Amino acid sequence: MVITLKNSIKEIKLNLHTKFADSADLTIREITLKSANRLTAAVITMEGLVDKEQLAQSVLNPLMVYDFGNMPPQRAAETIQNSVAAAADLAAFTTVDELVTYITSGFAVLVVDGAEILFAAGTQGYAFRGVSEPESEVVQRGSREGFSEPLRVNMSLLRRRMKSPELVFEQMTVGSESQTQLMLCYLQSKVSGQLLETLRSRLNACRLETVLGAGYLSDYLEDKNTSRLFSGVGISERPDTVCGKLTEGRIAIIVDGTPAVLIVPRLFVEEFQGVDDYSNRTYYATFIRLLKYLSFFIAVFLPGLYVALAQFHPEYIPSFILIKTAEALSQTPLPVTLEVLMMTLVYEIMKEAGLRIPKSLAHAVSIVGALVIGESAVTAGIISSSTLMVVATAAICSYVTASLYPPIMALRLVFIVVGGLAGLWGIVLATAVVIISLCSKTSLGVPYMSSLSPFSLRRMRDVFLRVSWKELGRHTIRVQKFPETEADHVR
Amino acid sequence: MRRLLCIVCSMAFLLTGCSHSRQIESAAIIENVTVDRQDGGLVYTFYRLTSGDDPWGIAVSAKNFEEACRLASEEYIPNLSLSKLELLLISEDAAETVMTTDLPYISTQPFFSPVAYLTLCDDRTVDAFRKTNRTQRLIEQQLILLKNHNPSVSIDYLSVFNHLAADRAEGFLVPFIYSDKELKIAEYRLHAKKMTENH
Amino acid sequence: MSAETPFSSKRFLLALMLAACSVILLQNHSLSENSSFLFELASMAAGLALCFLCFVPTLLLRKLRNADILQLSARSPAVVKLPVAVFYAGYFVYTALYFLIPYTDMFHAKYYPGVSPCLITVVLLGCCVYAAVKGVNVITRFGIFLFLFAMLTNILMFGGNLTALELTADSLSWQGSTDDFWQNTRYFLTPAFIAAVFACLNAETNNFRLRQPVCALLFTGLKYAAVLFFIRFAVGAYAGRQEYPTFVLSRTAHFDRFAGVESFYLALATMSVFMIVSLLLCCVTKAADREKNLKTVVLFTLILLAMYTVSAYVNSVKEILTNQNVFIIFTGIASLLPLAGLIGGRKSNAPTLVHSM
Repeated sequence: MVITLKNSIKEIKLNLHTKFADSADLTIREITLKSANRLTAAVITMEGLVDKEQLAQSVLNPLMVYDFGNMPPQRAAETIQNSVAAAADLAAFTTVDELVTYITSGFAVLVVDGAEILFAAGTQGYAFRGVSEPESEVVQRGSREGFSEPLRVNMSLLRRRMKSPELVFEQMTVGSESQTQLMLCYLQSKVSGQLLETLRSRLNACRLETVLGAGYLSDYLEDKNTSRLFSGVGISERPDTVCGKLTEGRIAIIVDGTPAVLIVPRLFVEEFQGVDDYSNRTYYATFIRLLKYLSFFIAVFLPGLYVALAQFHPEYIPSFILIKTAEALSQTPLPVTLEVLMMTLVYEIMKEAGLRIPKSLAHAVSIVGALVIGESAVTAGIISSSTLMVVATAAICSYVTASLYPPIMALRLVFIVVGGLAGLWGIVLATAVVIISLCSKTSLGVPYMSSLSPFSLRRMRDVFLRVSWKELGRHTIRVQKFPETEADHVR
Repeated sequence: MRRLLCIVCSMAFLLTGCSHSRQIESAAIIENVTVDRQDGGLVYTFYRLTSGDDPWGIAVSAKNFEEACRLASEEYIPNLSLSKLELLLISEDAAETVMTTDLPYISTQPFFSPVAYLTLCDDRTVDAFRKTNRTQRLIEQQLILLKNHNPSVSIDYLSVFNHLAADRAEGFLVPFIYSDKELKIAEYRLHAKKMTENH
Repeated sequence: MSAETPFSSKRFLLALMLAACSVILLQNHSLSENSSFLFELASMAAGLALCFLCFVPTLLLRKLRNADILQLSARSPAVVKLPVAVFYAGYFVYTALYFLIPYTDMFHAKYYPGVSPCLITVVLLGCCVYAAVKGVNVITRFGIFLFLFAMLTNILMFGGNLTALELTADSLSWQGSTDDFWQNTRYFLTPAFIAAVFACLNAETNNFRLRQPVCALLFTGLKYAAVLFFIRFAVGAYAGRQEYPTFVLSRTAHFDRFAGVESFYLALATMSVFMIVSLLLCCVTKAADREKNLKTVVLFTLILLAMYTVSAYVNSVKEILTNQNVFIIFTGIASLLPLAGLIGGRKSNAPTLVHSM
C-alpha cells in the first residue's frame, strides 16, 4: 500500500517515530533556512549508514549558506534540487514507503516544510568488507576479485567487466520485514523474455518475512515437481563467472548483503566447468574436466561399490586385493556396511567441527582426527585399513566438485545402504532411479541434464572437452536455445 | 506415497532374503582344486585363497565333483565359492573319470569359472601342491610357457570342454605337469572320442 | 496421460533400439543346431526384415493421418475405442511379463539364489513406476546413458573373448534346411515388439526420418551377429550347456587375470529391463487414456505383479506368458492394427508434425 506524505515536517516526524517505534538510530536534524519567511527543513538519516562528512559537504553546508529570499516552500524545494544540493545522487519522491526505503538504505532525506516533494541524497557511508578473493572459488589464473556484501559494489564489479549498454540491472525488493533489495541482472539482447518473466513471477511469489542471504531464495527459483537433490540454481562469488553466464543468456540475481550471486538456469554440466578451464591450455583443461567427472563418480559410488562387493560379490574383486581386504576386514568387529557408514559419519562430523571451530584450534583438531581415526582405530582393530582408504578417497574426490557436495554426500549414503542391503543389483537400480530423477529435472524450464541428455554433439565442445577459444568464440550458445526448453510449463 | 514406498522396499529387503549376504571375511573363495585317487576312491581337495605360503585345503572323498562340492559346503566350508577358481589339477589316475563325469557337470554350473586352468599331472605334483602355495605359481608359469610355445594346447577349462564336446577323432592337446625334482610340463594328447565312448 | 513436450524421434528410436538389443541379453539359445553361422545370419536378416515390416502400418498412419493408433482410437466411438484400448493394455502387460519372467529367472539362478524372485520383481516394478510416471521423454533421456553403458559392456564382453576365438576353415560354410530357416527366423522376430511400442507413442515425437527405425534394426542386427559369432566361435559348445548364452559370454570374458564382466552384464540387463518395463507402462497408461497418470501406472503395475506371482507358482501360466509363438502373434496384431486405423480413422486436426520420409 502506498501512503502519500503530508507536507509538514511535524507530521513526517510523527509518522517516522511511530513507524520506527522511536528507534535510537533514527536521526532527524531540523534546520532553519536563510530566508525571509523563515523556512524550515529537516535532514532525516539512519545513524551509521551515512557518511557524515559527505552529508555536511554536499547537503548541510550548501543548505545553510544559500539565501532562499522570499521563496515559497515548493519553489525552495525545487531550487534545492536544481542549484543547492551538491550530492551526486539526488532523487525526488513523495511516499512514506520510499522514504523508509531510502533512509534504511543509507540515503539522507531532505524535507522542506510545506513542500510537496522530498529528496534523497546519496550519502551512504557504512562500513563494509572490501573486495577480496573468494575463498570458495580460488583460481590459479584470472581475476582475484570476488563479490562483497553491498549491492552497489557488486553491481559496479559487473559493470566494470561488461561495459555494454545491453547489461541491465532491474531492482526488486523481497522480504516483507527485511525489505531486502535485489537486482536481476541480464544482457538484454541475450536473455529470453519468457525466462525473465517466469523469474520475476517466482520472485514476486516469495512470501518470506526476511531474506538475509541469497540461499533463502533458491527454493523459490526451483521448478515445480522436479527433484531437489541437485540444485537448479547456481551460486558464484566471482564477477567474471557471472559475466560469462550472462553472455549465455542466463540471469543473475544479486541480493543485498550477500557476496554470493544466484544464477539461473543452472545445468549439471556447469558443475564441472571452472574459470581456470578457460585460461589453461585446451588439452589440460579437457584432462581436468575428465578428472572432475571421474572424481564425481568415485565420490558417489566408491563406498557403495566397496560395500556391495565385500558383502555380496567378493569374487569380482581381483585376487591380490581380495586377500588383503578380506584379511583386514576379518580383524574388525563390525560388519562392513556399518563400518563404512560409521566412518563416513565420523568424517562428516570432523569436517563440520573443522569448519566451525576457531582457526587456531583447527590444526589441533585435524591432528587428533588423523591420529585417532586414521592410525589408532586401525591399529586397535576397530576399523579396517581398506575401509579407511575407501572413505578417505571418496571424501577427497567429493571436494573436486565442491558445489556438488550436498548431493554427493546424500547419494553416497544412499548407495552405501543400498549396496549393503541388495548388493550390486541394488546399486544399479538406485543409479537408474537417480538418472531418471536427474533427467526429469528442469531449471527454469531448461532440462537440467541438457548437452548430455537431451544430447547435443555441438555442445560437447565445452562439456567433456574444452576446445580452443577460436572455436568457442565463433558461436555463443544461449541457454534458452537448448532443446526441449519448456518455459510455458514451469510457471 | 513416497514414504510408504520407502518403508515397503526396506521391509522387503530386510525380510525376504537380501540380508543373506556372503560377506567377504567369511566367504571361502576357492583358488585351486586338485583331484587324485587314494585307496581306489577319488579325493577332491579345495584350496582356499590365502596370502601365506602354507596352503589351506579341505580334502573330501566323493564319487564326483557335484558330491564333493556338496560335502565340502555341508561339512567344512559353508560359503564355498568357485567363481575365482584358477586351477583344476587332475591326477593322471583320476583323469578318465573326471573328464567323462565331472567336466559335463561343471559345464552346466554357472558358479564355476570357465577360464580356470585345467591340467593333468602326476601324483608327485599333487603332493607338492599340498605342501606349499608356491607350486601353483610354478604350474601357472609352466602353463604360460607352454601356451607361448604351442598355442594349440588347451589350457583352460572352456577350451578343454569344447574340444571334448567337439568329438574330434584326432584328439587334442592338454598340458601335463610332472615332477621329479622340479616341475616340468609336457603336452598330452587326449582322445575325445575314446573318453565319450568310455562314458 | 498428461501432454508431454514433443521430443526427438531420434532419441525415441535409440531407446527402442536398446530395448530390442536387450532382448538378446535375455534370450535362450533356441536356434537350430544344424544351421551354420552364415545360415543363422541369413535367418537373422529375414527376421529383422519382418520386424521392419511391422513398422510400416504405423509409418503410413503417421504420414497419412498424422496420428498414432491410440490417438486415432481415442477420437473414435466407444465401440472402437474400448476394444483397441483393452487389446493394447493387455498386450503391453503381457510383453512386460514376457521380459520380466526370464530376467528374474536369470537373476535368481545366476546371481542371488537365496533371494525370492517376487522380491526382485516388487523392487524392480517400484522403480519402474517412478520412471513411468515421469513419462516417455524422460525414459528416452535415460536411454542415452544406457546406450553409453551398453557400448562399454559390449566392448568388454566381446573384447574379453577375443583371445578365445577359434576360427576354422569351415567356419563360413553354408548349412541348413528350410525348416531350420523358419525356426531361426522366428527366434529373431522377438524385437518386433518395438514396432508396437512405436505405434502407440510416436505422436509425441518430432523430426521423424525413415532411416531411424532402419538404423535401429540394423544396429540390433549387428549386435545379434556379434553375439552369435562369439557364442559360436569363442564359447562354443559350452554356451549350449547353460541358459542365457549372453551371460555365458560375459562370464568367459577376461583380460589376463581380470574377469567379472558378468557384473556389467547384470547391470545392463537390469537397466534394460527397467527401461523396457517403464516404457511399456507408459504405453499401457496411454492405451488406458487416463489423465491420472500415477494411479493408472500403479493399477497396472499391481496387475503385473499379481500375474507374475501367479506365474511363479503355476507353471502352465508361466509357460503361456513366456511362449514365443503367442508373443509373436500378439506382436503381429499390435503392429498391424494401425492398418485398420488407416482404413477407418479420421484425419487429425492437430498441427502437422514435421516428418519427411
